[in-house]
Amino acid sequence: MSAATTPLPRTAPAQAPRRFSRRRLGELSAHIYVWIVLFVFVLPFLTLLGYSLTGPGGTYAVQNFQYVLGSFGDNLRQSFLVAALTLAINLLIALPGAYAIVRYQFPGKRTLYSLVTLPLYVPGAVIGISLVLVYNFTYHLTTSIWGLVFAMAVGTFPLMLSPIVVAMKDLPIAFEEAAACLGATRLQTFWRIVFPLIGPGVSAGLMLTFIIVFNEYLVTLFVHPPNVTTAPLRVFNLVRTAGLAPTTAALAVTMQLISFGAILVFFRVFGTRYLKGTYLI
Amino acid sequence: MSTVRLDRISKLYGTTVAVDDFELEVADGEFVTLLGPSGCGKTTTLRMIAGLVEPSGGRILFDDQDVTWLPPRKRNIGFVFQTPALFPHLSVADNIAFGLSVKGEKKDAIATRVEEMLAMVGLKGYGARLPAQLSGGQQQRVALARVLATDPRVLLFDEPLSALDKNLRDTLKYSILDLQRRTGKTAIYVTHDQSEAFAISDRIVVMNNGRIEQIGTQTDIYLQPETPYVAEFIGANNGLRGTVAGRDGDGDDAGWLIEALGHTIRGAARPGLSVGQSVVAYVRPEDIEIVEDGDGAKFANVLDGTIDRVIFEGATAQVRVDIGGREIRVDVSGNERLTLMRRDGTVRLGFDPVTVIPAAEQVAAS
Repeated sequence: MSAATTPLPRTAPAQAPRRFSRRRLGELSAHIYVWIVLFVFVLPFLTLLGYSLTGPGGTYAVQNFQYVLGSFGDNLRQSFLVAALTLAINLLIALPGAYAIVRYQFPGKRTLYSLVTLPLYVPGAVIGISLVLVYNFTYHLTTSIWGLVFAMAVGTFPLMLSPIVVAMKDLPIAFEEAAACLGATRLQTFWRIVFPLIGPGVSAGLMLTFIIVFNEYLVTLFVHPPNVTTAPLRVFNLVRTAGLAPTTAALAVTMQLISFGAILVFFRVFGTRYLKGTYLI
Repeated sequence: MSTVRLDRISKLYGTTVAVDDFELEVADGEFVTLLGPSGCGKTTTLRMIAGLVEPSGGRILFDDQDVTWLPPRKRNIGFVFQTPALFPHLSVADNIAFGLSVKGEKKDAIATRVEEMLAMVGLKGYGARLPAQLSGGQQQRVALARVLATDPRVLLFDEPLSALDKNLRDTLKYSILDLQRRTGKTAIYVTHDQSEAFAISDRIVVMNNGRIEQIGTQTDIYLQPETPYVAEFIGANNGLRGTVAGRDGDGDDAGWLIEALGHTIRGAARPGLSVGQSVVAYVRPEDIEIVEDGDGAKFANVLDGTIDRVIFEGATAQVRVDIGGREIRVDVSGNERLTLMRRDGTVRLGFDPVTVIPAAEQVAAS
């Protein structure tokens, strides 16, 4: 509104602001919410960070972090390997899967989509126990890193698939038709048009899957082979056997920072586009 | 550049007939428009020509080559969509280059062609922009450049202007025609807007319910509608129900006398009618004149009525005249439209026999 416009005559005299107007209550609850969030999520992390920097006798000690590059480095490498393999497998299946679910009609489509999202609703311990039974007693498989990777892949597949399905649904088919009429093959159309346009959806799937796989310890506890100990499993084991040492806290802080880093990178690159899953805003 | 022949193509969705037994031949370099209301099957027909929809029957031929079962990418067509459908993540230049680049053309050849196309559609210097940085009209021109870059055999347009505002539509439709004339490409254009169809087409195909009602030039369709549907769909039209009373003279080219509105109206000659038959006689509002001076003796048909109301529309005015309980619309332009604003009461209407088109009344017509 510009200052030049005549204000409408007020029908009622302006009331004195009430102490608990609806608006004030709204602001107040927003403040309370922010403080709860800070208290529940940020404060524990800051405490953990402070504790990880505490030396003997309350001194300041960076050397707690020396294990991060030492023996814990191996655990981190294994975690990254498991996460990378899981992401690769999930992406390879989810990309054509999402395309088929959105673009083609086939019998049992909805049932199939519900079925693949099922692992989201199964507790990690249940998945762990059942996988141990299946691997060891049904198929007599010796445990390997692949057993772990496949367990992760099945458990996190819906996290990869759903954002891509949403992004595909938002993508008007006219782009693919235009590409086809211009002479592009299906593969050229997919890689040059569809894939870049659903990029934010794909990356949202990658980020969610990475964070869950990277931090998962419960399923890992059941199905990890003896020579593989991922980072979260190492932290879990240390807490169980050695109690809460500042060196363990240092490892936990490192893991937390890696997760934060992944999210920061994601938001820097894709901004708020991930909410819609496509570049079409 | 090529001819297009649609040999009795049809499309069924389940038991619904979208396109029924469609036959059309488009000459090399001709601009043909499919005109009809939404749901009449015009877009489905166009998409079958493009290969985006598979026909349920019939054949599609480009230059005697049967393309019925070729995928769109092998047909070498240029399809302009209702939305520009520019790839939003690619620059204007990359959009135009897309069709050449997927065919593996050399980079510098593509760059030259892109510049040529940008100049052609009047968007020189816009190559580096993203589609979102262009206006709707500019986007549609890039879409045109993108299809022309691949040198297609046939240009297909699916209501390309319907998303734009009126002024832009008016200029862009002539740009489309101009580009088609300059490149000499065969074009098939789909629209529901008659003024658009009339402005740019060599021939118009009027469609209804998946069928062809009439194929002809603007004047054919306007002056000689072959079916009641065409008569009513093209322009506003006064349909006067009546019966054929006899012939207005001798021979086959004599007009018909039609009993309607309590008068005997002298109509145009039309084949296939007989005395006593129920007909609808169509008279266009712009063909009726208001007789201000004299008794209207220069008109073969004179009817008296009372003015119901006058609707001033700017360049023209609509006069609704009541004749024996039936409302007749008369369109007037020029100075007359202003003087009429202050008139009411009785009025005398005059019109010529050639403007009265009798058509057999269809019993089940909608």
